[in-house]
Amino acid sequence: MLLIILSALPFPKLPYYQAMDTPPLPPTNDAPRGSLACVGMGMTLGSHLTPLARSQIEQADVVFAALSDNIVELWLQRMHPDVRSLQPYYAEGKSRMKTYRQWVELMMTEVRAGKNVCGVFYGHPGIFAWSPHKAIEVARAEGFKAHMEPGISAEDCLYADLGIDPGRFGCQHFEASQLLFYERRIDPTGYLVLWQVGLVGDLSLKRFSTGAAYRQVLVDVLSEDYPLDHEVIVYRGATLPIQKPRVRRMALRDLPGAELTAEETVVLPPSAPLKQNLAVRERLAALDKEASIA
Amino acid sequence: MSDTIELLEAIGQNATLRHASADQLASILEQANASAALRSAVAAGDSSLLSAEFGHKPNKAPQITNVPGHEEDESDDDGDDKPHHPSEPGHSQPHKHTPHKQ
Ligand SMILES: C[S@@+](CC[C@H](N)C(=O)[O-])C[C@H]1O[C@@H](n2cnc3c(N)ncnc32)[C@H](O)[C@@H]1O
Repeated sequence: MLLIILSALPFPKLPYYQAMDTPPLPPTNDAPRGSLACVGMGMTLGSHLTPLARSQIEQADVVFAALSDNIVELWLQRMHPDVRSLQPYYAEGKSRMKTYRQWVELMMTEVRAGKNVCGVFYGHPGIFAWSPHKAIEVARAEGFKAHMEPGISAEDCLYADLGIDPGRFGCQHFEASQLLFYERRIDPTGYLVLWQVGLVGDLSLKRFSTGAAYRQVLVDVLSEDYPLDHEVIVYRGATLPIQKPRVRRMALRDLPGAELTAEETVVLPPSAPLKQNLAVRERLAALDKEASIA
Repeated sequence: MSDTIELLEAIGQNATLRHASADQLASILEQANASAALRSAVAAGDSSLLSAEFGHKPNKAPQITNVPGHEEDESDDDGDDKPHHPSEPGHSQPHKHTPHKQ
């Protein structure tokens, strides 16, 4: 009876992390139930893959791969006999959103066929990545087991290589285009990390890089909060263990003219000191005083 | 000649090798009988030289999209829900299914 009621309920339109307590639908027959694990490969070949992510890969029936380095993909192929690259679904002139929906569909087709599927994404599978979150949401909504294993992301490498602690002044992360398409509030007293600057401002979703003129628009937006001679850091972490991180420092005004690949991240250190909140401090001091009197 | 992927994995997993200087690593790779492409990539500090061994196939890195009206756009613009199988589907293996127990 309870099962009938449960299965009659519409699925809540919630992100999967809020819908986690939704009990999976009971299997309709004895066919093997598919499952989905989206795992991170980390950034650097050989250095970052967690034992658990590796085990997910090895124990899967089918592995799908979205990796930023083709040599890392060759390494992954050593871990499983059926690794299917998602790279060929990208195409110049084709909307990336369409590509990402295809990725979800490719993984779900195998899950629905009863396979244990592992999606392997470079870095952390849940950081600035649409399809792993979406695939897990879809799989759970259809009653399959699905989860994510974290990985070491470009963000993690950036903190280590640039010596930044996001807790010191606070740290905002944005996909660079979001700063152009939407009105956002930047806090220049903390760090600002911009992702996908190489394709900033691409409204078509069909290009893999935009040019200096698009980065100039970004610089113009940033110049509302930062002086043009403010230092920016263009960062590329190592994807192969024979590489060193690449760190380039330049003035904000020079960003449009710099060569920038799709796999670089731009960091703006704080340009202004933290400002004391005197009103709240006074309130806290009053509380302390009350407490010591009591 | 040693297997380059295995050598890279070994370097990535070993604290001394991962942080060795180019000179140190070059002599270790020489002893390990590494491929010419790997040795020249390390010596020159230019991993693009490895493409001599694996072909120049740069992967694409983007993943997230923030274009208004696209990011959570469920309706497929051209109504085509079926995955397009590109001419070269990129399966590293044909659908040879080796069961892995879980
Ligand atoms: C869609 S995001 C994917 C991030 C990935 N999921 C992760 O955990 O790092 C792509 C963006 O990540 C950043 N990125 C990718 N590879 C990088 C690298 N090797 N070094 C620094 N940033 C990188 C760039 O900002 C790039 O535009």
